[in-house]
Amino acid sequence: MIELIKKDLIVDWRQQNPISGILLYLASTIFTSYMAFRGFISIEVWNALFWIIILFTAITAISKSFMQEERRSLYYFFLVKPQLLITAKLIYSFIYLLALAILSLLIFSILFGNPISDYLFFVFNLGLGCLGLSSAFTMISAISFKASNRSIIMAVLGFPVIIPVLILSISNSAKILDQTIWAQVQGNMLTLVSIDVIIIALAFILFPFIWKS
Amino acid sequence: MGYLLKTNWWKWLCIILLTYTIIGGLLLPVPKLPILNETIRVLHFHVPMWFGMILVFTGSVIYAIKYLKTNNSKFDIYSSQLASTGIAFGVLGIVTGMAWAAYTWGEPWSNDPKQNASAVSLLIYLAYFVLRNSLNDEQQRSRISAVYNIFAFTLMIPLLFILPRMTDSLHPGNGGNPALSAVDLDNDLRKVFYTAVIGWTLLGYWIASINIRLSLAHQKIENAS
Repeated sequence: MIELIKKDLIVDWRQQNPISGILLYLASTIFTSYMAFRGFISIEVWNALFWIIILFTAITAISKSFMQEERRSLYYFFLVKPQLLITAKLIYSFIYLLALAILSLLIFSILFGNPISDYLFFVFNLGLGCLGLSSAFTMISAISFKASNRSIIMAVLGFPVIIPVLILSISNSAKILDQTIWAQVQGNMLTLVSIDVIIIALAFILFPFIWKS
Repeated sequence: MGYLLKTNWWKWLCIILLTYTIIGGLLLPVPKLPILNETIRVLHFHVPMWFGMILVFTGSVIYAIKYLKTNNSKFDIYSSQLASTGIAFGVLGIVTGMAWAAYTWGEPWSNDPKQNASAVSLLIYLAYFVLRNSLNDEQQRSRISAVYNIFAFTLMIPLLFILPRMTDSLHPGNGGNPALSAVDLDNDLRKVFYTAVIGWTLLGYWIASINIRLSLAHQKIENAS
């Protein structure tokens, strides 16, 4: 499993094209929204904009997770168990998305200013949100792997499914930026954790069925 | 579903219950409440649509699971036809809800969490059909859409039942508004409401069973030729 994660990392590092592409995508989206929103950015707008950009980065970054495996899929089919493969993919896409999210947080705080007071808390919530986004999109990417017009299918299938995660993490981080104490977001946080767990469990159970066909 | 396809006592039951619902729902006395007034009668037509939708979608998911277990293409037809009936119910539910909201809340769409959640659940199942159309291989289509059906339905549950309860909403049942709990529902309403739920759900299965028969027949013709 560790080998599989390592392999993904190496492939991405060697190709460099997708990685630099996604970094540029991130930078230019943030810069465009900086030009568009200049002057009237309040904390609520900051928060909503940040999550929307994370959402679009996630869908662009993770959609390739299975698409690049087209040629290799036959090897995997004989070599590794599907459970192992999905675990490796889930872990890798989570790390990938978290790295991108933290990077975009950096660019965001340079351009838009930085309203965060409680970093640990904010990043914790960011991590939970990224976990939900990355695992749901990995699963959707596996589902749309065989479809004919992948990129559209990916968005159509992904957005409605991801809404519970997105609503919860946006409202959580809005509350955190508003300097709330732990007890006030505890309930929301627990719901977010349980939705993450549901998504991962479903991916684990359902992935072998996709892989077989 | 296999049993329902063979017998038809439940179709008679459905006709009787729905006749009672329509006559009773429009004519029987209702409690007089401020703001709501006579619009409370929408309870017999709007709320059962959502009950019906959820029950029909549940049937669809059960057959998706059965399909993954057995690989029998019959179950895939059951599952997809139930899902399309569910969409029809969902659209009717949204339309009746908007008509009601236009009179009581003042506007048809007020960014209410329940309205948004129901719109999203419709999007999920519309996406299910887009996915089905974009897969060419028949077996692949059945399998992958069954997987998506289960995945999306499970994520729809927190969306419909948990999230709206965490924020304030104008919808009955939230933020201190009365709704379906045993205390709130008046006895006059209850007499009609329960039959309405059963009647509309049976109607949903009836429509689905006709569609299922039709597609089974299509499949037979295709296999024969």
